[in-house]
Amino acid sequence: MIAEAGQLALTFAFALALLLALVPLYGSFVANQRMLLLAKPLALGQFIFCLLAMLALIYAFRTNDFTVINVAQNSSSSLPWYYQITASFGSHEGSMLLWVLMLAGWTALVAQYSKALPLLLQGRILGILGLICVGFIAFSLFMSNPFARSLPFFPVEGRDLNPLLQDFGMILHPPLLYMGYVGFAVAFAFALAALMGGRFDSVWARWVRPWALAAWLFLTLGIMLGSWWAYNELGWGGWWFWDPVENASFMPWLAGTALIHSLAVTEKRGTFKSWTVLLALAAFALSLVGAFLVRSGVLVSVHSFATDPGRGMYLLVFLLLVVGGSLLLYGSRMNSVRSQARYQLFSREMLLWGNNIFLLTACLIVFLGTLFPLFHKELGLGSISIGEPFFNQMFYYLTIPFALMLGLGPWVRWKQQQLMPLIKPMAMVLIAALMLALGTLALMQSVQANLALLGLLLGAWVGVSALAEVMLRLKQFGSVTNGISKLNASHYGMTLAHIGFAVLVIGVAMTKTYTVERDVRMQEGDTAVVAGYEFTLQDVYELNGPNYGGQAAELDVSKAGNYVTHLHAEKRFYRIQKTIMTESAVHARLSRDLYVSLGEELPGNAWAMRIQVKPFVRWIWLGGLLMALGALLALCDKRYRRKLTGYNQANA
Amino acid sequence: MRKIIFYAPLALFLALALFLLSGLFSDPRERASAIIDKPLPNFALADLMQPDKIWTPEALTGETFLLNVWGVWCPTCNAELGYLTELRQQGVNIVGLYYELPRDPAFDAPFDLAVLQQDVALKLQQQGNPYQFNMLDLERSLSLDLGVSGAPETFIVDANGIVRAHHIGDINPQVWRTKLAPLYQQWSQP
Repeated sequence: MIAEAGQLALTFAFALALLLALVPLYGSFVANQRMLLLAKPLALGQFIFCLLAMLALIYAFRTNDFTVINVAQNSSSSLPWYYQITASFGSHEGSMLLWVLMLAGWTALVAQYSKALPLLLQGRILGILGLICVGFIAFSLFMSNPFARSLPFFPVEGRDLNPLLQDFGMILHPPLLYMGYVGFAVAFAFALAALMGGRFDSVWARWVRPWALAAWLFLTLGIMLGSWWAYNELGWGGWWFWDPVENASFMPWLAGTALIHSLAVTEKRGTFKSWTVLLALAAFALSLVGAFLVRSGVLVSVHSFATDPGRGMYLLVFLLLVVGGSLLLYGSRMNSVRSQARYQLFSREMLLWGNNIFLLTACLIVFLGTLFPLFHKELGLGSISIGEPFFNQMFYYLTIPFALMLGLGPWVRWKQQQLMPLIKPMAMVLIAALMLALGTLALMQSVQANLALLGLLLGAWVGVSALAEVMLRLKQFGSVTNGISKLNASHYGMTLAHIGFAVLVIGVAMTKTYTVERDVRMQEGDTAVVAGYEFTLQDVYELNGPNYGGQAAELDVSKAGNYVTHLHAEKRFYRIQKTIMTESAVHARLSRDLYVSLGEELPGNAWAMRIQVKPFVRWIWLGGLLMALGALLALCDKRYRRKLTGYNQANA
Repeated sequence: MRKIIFYAPLALFLALALFLLSGLFSDPRERASAIIDKPLPNFALADLMQPDKIWTPEALTGETFLLNVWGVWCPTCNAELGYLTELRQQGVNIVGLYYELPRDPAFDAPFDLAVLQQDVALKLQQQGNPYQFNMLDLERSLSLDLGVSGAPETFIVDANGIVRAHHIGDINPQVWRTKLAPLYQQWSQP
């Protein structure tokens, strides 16, 4: 009953989306104010019905309604309640509904917070978002119905949720990631609406910036959480795999990062317009391409959902209409747009242009690395695979110039910068960075130059430069204490995000260089020494969880005789899905992680153990967190909330 | 010129869509083998049962044969032994490439050829012996060169030592009839 109500709610949402896609857009071309005014209530109504549909699905999961195929295949009555809720978006069908809900949510947010926008623009933006909603709700309703029943023959027990997804990180990872993906739809709609009207100026850029920042913030958090989950749950201590689906989330992130920087130029200097619009289109287009890759079965990945050519076909046609249509509009409209501003070779514009070039090159590398095997095969050249070494090597070369520029960027003025005044402060930053990098390296047990030194140097260069720059700006207000409250929130946000990048670079370089990994055979009472830490296996015993059994190992860790910590690693066997999962034991400190995963039982009452000591691995996620925090700070900037009444009246 | 450049993203996207479209209709798990129509890679492997006898590609040329990658540890390989034995009785030449599991020096007992020979002899006695002889690829050098991803896998090698087919998975009557027998006959013609 409730499932049918959910389906009905989704159908209503579909009808409202259709209206939202047709009425305000039509109204915008015939200049009918009443039609334009309909956009907001339609957007809000659409969101409410999507929410009702999602709640109905969650209800079906919580009440173990196994007549619903989706519930029967992805949940079981022994699953803990919080995973029953997350199981509602663990399958293709459920995740599509979550995607739709997020999209409707963003649309409602735009409807709610766009009072300052001219009515015409508001109607167009919401209409475009409605158009995208139509596509996805129809996909959910007709191609992957989450409420489909298996009556009259239904199972008495469900097949349980994929154990990989039974983890805390998985509760938050999909919603955050989808918020990010779908969030770029807002910037996309803003860009399309501007293309229709032919207006791109700093005011337009100021409207788009907070939405792009918000989407980027969620995507950053989503990716970080996914990486953290993989580290905890997959049992071998990796944090990024260059898997096609990870790449599918990384590409919109790179394009989005380029977008928020390019928007800064468009807002401050009224230039880079065609570039900014293209990036706004690209960020969402890449999200859609990602969704296609994950859901069509074109690529093989651990993440991909069950494949169905019908769904793939639908998504491809949708992709062609949305992305192809918007790029066609871009091609036909963009040549009439002119940038007025002039700038010199050494200026902040040029450095941000460089930033965009590097980010897009990175995006292109990920894109080619992910899709090249497909191209290669479809051209009849045989199967190839592109793995970690390719990506690692490419990103190694890209990061060096990128970080060097990043350290310099905030110091350089708009329009034109004289070289001489910068030499002294930059030299000071360089010296400080060198001292910091060498000092840190000296503290490590073994001095391994190359990658670690390079990473530390680049990280310190970016970090020190960001800090020094913000101090300089504060001093320009008279005194530092005086300036703290006067400097823009977005400036602090930028500084924090750049420091986050520095922390991330240091984390990656140090972890790659200094990780010590040992596979050992241990009996109870045995001690293994890894990187100076003594791991003693105290006990291995049988586990008995709600929907799993297995073994747990208890270890004590000490260093030079001093007790450090106690570790608890599990190897779970999920009964219904008959899969084995490792729950690694992690002892986290800022300077290093101790990471133990329990392996197979070996003859002679012994166990295979994988023990790792991973210096600075926390810095990777800390860096991501700082970047997201920076975006949040920038979002809080006063200028995005200022009512643009003057502009509004002028254009009404 | 300035006009056309703005259509470049559209052109790139359409090219991508074309690839994605054709990708939809092909199996991503299908692997084209790189070794097809190339001569057998160079090797020198000891006979499993008579380790002093060394097999090289030259010794294998002259007649078309099946090169079957297998191991006693692999249940699917054991399941196909019976049918392969039938094929041998029908006159198909089958050479075994014995694929040993990797050994971890820390955990596993050291490699013992006598034990392996005993296991293999017992298994072939129970299930039937399709092999004219078995080569032991302990270092997996030949398996790697051939692009073997696991066991069982079977190659058809013609009389000139050229690899003509690569089959991943077991051989059963249906696979043989529909896929391998026509190829085997085609390349057996003098």
